Amino acid sequence: MKCLLLIPALLAAAEPGEFFETKVRPVLAKNCYGCHRDAALGGLRLDSREAMLKGGKSGAAITVEQPEQSLLLKAVRQVDDKVKKMPPTGKLTDAEITDLSTWIQQGAIWPASATISKAGKGITPEQRAFWSFQPVKAPEIPAGANAIDHLVQARLAKDALQQAPKADQRTLIRRASVDLTGLPPTPEEVDAFLADQAPNAYAKLLDRLLASPRYGERWGRVWLDVARYSDDLLNSTKEEPYQNSFRYRNWVIDALNQDLPYSDFVKAQIAGDQTGHPAALGFYALSPEMQDDRVDATTRGFLGLTVACATCHDHKFDPIPTRDFYSLQGIFNNTKLAEKELASKETVAQWKALEKRVKEMEEDVTRFYTRQTEMIAEIEGAKTASYLLAAREMGPKDGLDEEILKRWKEYQSQPRKDHRYLDAWFKDPGEKTAHDFQEVVLAINREQREIETRNDYKKGGNTANPDLAQLELESIEYSKYVLWRSLFERSIRDSAGFFASTEGVYFFGKGKVDRFLPAPWQAHAKDLERRLAEAKKALPPKYPFLQIIEDKEKIQDIKISVRGDRNNLGELAPRAFPQILSKQQKLFTKGSGRLELGEAIADPDNPLTARVIVNRIWQQHFGRGIVTTPSNFGQLGERPTHPELLDWLADRFVKQGWSLKQLHRDIMLSETYQLASAGTDQMAANVAKDPDNVLLWRSPRRRLDVESMRDAMLYVSGELDLTPGELAVKLDEPSFKKRTVYGFVGRRRLDTMLALFDFPNPLATSEARMPTNVPPQRLFLMNSPFVEARAQSLAARSEGPLEARVTRLYRQLFGRSPEAKELALAKDFLASGDWTSYTRALLGSNEFLFVN
Amino acid sequence: MNRRSMLETMGAGLALTGFRALQAADDPLVAKAPHFAPKAKHVIWLFLNGGPSQVDTFDPKPMLDKYHGQPMPTANLRTERKTGTLLKSPFSFKPYGQSGIPVSEIFPKLGERIDEFTVIRSMHTDRPNHEPSLMMLNTGDRLSGRPSMGSWLTYGLGTFNQNLPGFVVLCPGLPVLGPQNWSAGFLPAVHQGTYLPTTEKDPKQLIQFIRNPKLEPAAQRREIDLMRHLNELQIEREGHDRQFEASIQSAEIAFRMQSEAPEAFDISREPEAVRARYGDSDFGRGTLVARRLVERGVRMVQVYFGNFQPWDNHDDIMLHQKLANQADAPIAALIDDLKSSGLLQDTIVIVGGEFGRTPAVEVGGLVKTQNGRDHNNHGFTYLVAGGGFKRGHIHGATDDFGFAAVENKVYIHDFHATLLHQLGLDHTRLTHRHSGRDYRLTDVGGEVVKAILA
Repeated sequence: MKCLLLIPALLAAAEPGEFFETKVRPVLAKNCYGCHRDAALGGLRLDSREAMLKGGKSGAAITVEQPEQSLLLKAVRQVDDKVKKMPPTGKLTDAEITDLSTWIQQGAIWPASATISKAGKGITPEQRAFWSFQPVKAPEIPAGANAIDHLVQARLAKDALQQAPKADQRTLIRRASVDLTGLPPTPEEVDAFLADQAPNAYAKLLDRLLASPRYGERWGRVWLDVARYSDDLLNSTKEEPYQNSFRYRNWVIDALNQDLPYSDFVKAQIAGDQTGHPAALGFYALSPEMQDDRVDATTRGFLGLTVACATCHDHKFDPIPTRDFYSLQGIFNNTKLAEKELASKETVAQWKALEKRVKEMEEDVTRFYTRQTEMIAEIEGAKTASYLLAAREMGPKDGLDEEILKRWKEYQSQPRKDHRYLDAWFKDPGEKTAHDFQEVVLAINREQREIETRNDYKKGGNTANPDLAQLELESIEYSKYVLWRSLFERSIRDSAGFFASTEGVYFFGKGKVDRFLPAPWQAHAKDLERRLAEAKKALPPKYPFLQIIEDKEKIQDIKISVRGDRNNLGELAPRAFPQILSKQQKLFTKGSGRLELGEAIADPDNPLTARVIVNRIWQQHFGRGIVTTPSNFGQLGERPTHPELLDWLADRFVKQGWSLKQLHRDIMLSETYQLASAGTDQMAANVAKDPDNVLLWRSPRRRLDVESMRDAMLYVSGELDLTPGELAVKLDEPSFKKRTVYGFVGRRRLDTMLALFDFPNPLATSEARMPTNVPPQRLFLMNSPFVEARAQSLAARSEGPLEARVTRLYRQLFGRSPEAKELALAKDFLASGDWTSYTRALLGSNEFLFVN
Repeated sequence: MNRRSMLETMGAGLALTGFRALQAADDPLVAKAPHFAPKAKHVIWLFLNGGPSQVDTFDPKPMLDKYHGQPMPTANLRTERKTGTLLKSPFSFKPYGQSGIPVSEIFPKLGERIDEFTVIRSMHTDRPNHEPSLMMLNTGDRLSGRPSMGSWLTYGLGTFNQNLPGFVVLCPGLPVLGPQNWSAGFLPAVHQGTYLPTTEKDPKQLIQFIRNPKLEPAAQRREIDLMRHLNELQIEREGHDRQFEASIQSAEIAFRMQSEAPEAFDISREPEAVRARYGDSDFGRGTLVARRLVERGVRMVQVYFGNFQPWDNHDDIMLHQKLANQADAPIAALIDDLKSSGLLQDTIVIVGGEFGRTPAVEVGGLVKTQNGRDHNNHGFTYLVAGGGFKRGHIHGATDDFGFAAVENKVYIHDFHATLLHQLGLDHTRLTHRHSGRDYRLTDVGGEVVKAILA
């Protein structure tokens, strides 16, 4: 070590290596490496002692012999004019500069271990061996056995758990109907099913339900949770719906109804412009334009991988280097939002031309009035002295405008607190002070107008959305502005409503300025207005279009943002699929690479895609997934409770052509699905061993989700409108009686009912709903106009003697007849004659709100 | 095994495994034991949205007067828009109270109570834009989607009054980003802040579905009794289920809420003189409601000063005078009331916005005059009173011009960690497992700022 000239006291304790790591390297990394590492600006690198001693074009960066002469120190101290001030973004703190100085004085010790690794750490064999990255391997199933039952029962046997008995037929039809269509069966459907003695009666029931258009409406919504679907714009100050968001929602519903193979379903949403499903691109186009949201929704939604965790650092737990994140982000970075017209070229061109005309006419009108307003203000402003004098009865009123005179009287009725330009006038009102003031007024107005002209020029015509961080606008001195505003400016209001200035004395806007204008000008104004009105009238509603994304013309890979900092770019991250999922990482080359991405995800060899989707479907049927973290199949996700079952399902799913309907059939035909949801009292031993029913010894009891709850209420009251919806309608609109999936989903403000009943936050992809049971939900059931209206309709639906009416209600709501005790309760309650109250109690009962 | 021991067994199983679907059966809002003895039980956060300027309120900078009209001698840090030369404060400061802490003339009443506050002058956050900063202050993350602090509190601690929401948000309309500011994120939806508009003066309209306009309470009681009977018959038939019981229970609570909740929001029950002290403004009414709610056991109340972003004075800092004029009296009245009722020691009162403002004048805005300040995330001030915080204390400092925090810097995670600490929560242990990861309000950072604790 070199002889130290000076050792600051603070250093005494720190070991040089540690000092470098804690005090020096972070400063270099944060402030210098953007330019002086790989980029080596000015030929200078600062990532090793050798490089620093060697220096760049200006010479060595550090001089250990004469530490204080080091260029690096001079640059960061920013006092020597001959040396470039560094970093260009600001100045290091004094403490940081002292640390650098100390470090050089100490001999610029660079610990041997401290060479920066360029690439992220490699993927270890242990990481590769993680279960979810292994190929799907279907287990051997004994001939003739149902695979699901075989695997579930084997697992139960291991823990000596006894399976619950099979559910009765009535329970089964309600469970299957609600599960597949989100609606309870009608009494007639229940009767028919109970009467059907055919051995395949249940299979036929499933076929009927799967063929119903109601199926897509129920299961489409399941996917829309994952797709973070919503109907409004996030980056807007008011509640604005996307006019065409419904086209994506309906595409999802239709795709499921048509049983579009899941592989195609995936590819369509990523690259539907290239696979004949442009509407599917709403998956991205309707979501906030944040690139990390897109990577997050893509990887968690389709792959069960949390790649967005690697934004700032290599994934802490999964084999996902930071570069993989930016490789995927690069794909979306090369796309842009677009509208795909669903109208003929002529219609579109015509509409755009008409819209342009409206805008031009609007500008004409605005420009005309702005000019007239300014001109009148200038003309009248030149009479300021006369107005002042006349206002105090000290001069004639000839040629003065009465309204302005009135304003002037008001203006000088009290001494001004906001400016001092009238002080002289107030002290000594007369010709001289009036004319002096007038000169000031005219000069200030002139100055303000000139500044405005120069500012407009600086904005380069882009007045709507200039770059405010760069734009250096001019302004008039504040005191002058206060005077100017009080004479020439319109009334100004702040958006929050805390401030409003009164209209300037000389300000007369549209409508008020007209009376100053000569007749031909007034006629011209009227003509402009008439033409604008005509243009507006001629503009039809906008043609339909799809909200899509499309590739940019110029494709460019992006660089890694070191530690997520966009001002600190690292190496290039070419567009590609995550390394752990690629046998050999192949770069994406077709456009942005979206289609290649979709193909890589939908590749039958991809170990995650099929597992993730069959698990999502399983989760809906059983209330919990085989993996209980459906969007995280990584190290921190849960392990599958039945790994072989998951693989059997995934394997079969792919072999059956990625058919979701066939998957439902496989699951629902199993005995496991058809178990009773035995009350916990009856199976005490099981409850003690497996209280959460993780191993599936019974069917879970579940509350209806919010869509099924609302739809079922409308359905049993005979009011549900089963025609598909288009443009989303607010759910609290009383006349809206279509299925809930067609209701408005607001990102900015979620509907109260949806929010109360556990609808997921549409800001990010959602893997599961968390059922709650809280008093505000009961307030909705007790007091809301919605439930009141359903209860009324329901009560009005049945006629005749009390017992028959009650029986009819029980059959409609619960698919069974009332018991004697229940009839007795009804008789007792209905002595009051309040049928609405009675039916509301039924709608709020657990039997209606839960499925066994 | 009888039914009772069965339930106990189930309870133990649930506690160990926490299966989500059944978790719902437990009332998530019942008051829970904190990690350690708390110093405070409630939070009232008076949110001066838009970004109040520190150098015009609680962080006077004589150097600004000296260098007024000159470029900043040190580096001008990047903010949202271009700024120019330094702009002195148009307001004068004077020391108040025993502590002698200087407060701007636009907050005279608050000034007289400054001895109750810790003035944190060294707050800082990441971005000079409203949205990410609102998200940071409220959820500890720049992007939307994480749970807000109030949601974390009811998640971790529950609340004291089951007949009222545990986390209430008051605003006349909506601040920027609206409900994302009080989102429960991935926590159960029940922890989402309950938003109530302060413009609504009829307390019965304040809570959705709080009454049935067509049903007298006695008739409704009959209806709920009928439903209860039907539910009990079902349990007899199908056996026991915690979900069924929770549903019966919450109907009972909901019935009671109907009479108790509107009373809490009804400020017409306050004496005229009290209402006068708070002032007949949205913020005044909101602050008074906040006091009534905390008195009734609500865990946290957040009062937004106004719609959109009132304190965002890019163009004319003189507007701060009007805003402060409306903020000053309610803050003072709240401190006085909480102090005289003794609740101040249990309640943390927070005053501050999403960031501060630049000491230099904004020149990049679309405005006609240049007498305002741009957003400033590099340094700003927060006020904290009650709840075991130091009284009459200044913590940290910004540089000579009030631009960046330089001494004892307090990052948002540190601020949150400290607030949680006073409420008896270790911020590293208040976690929720979501999609395979444990999340917390303070992400992976946060240090309790011990220096401001009494």
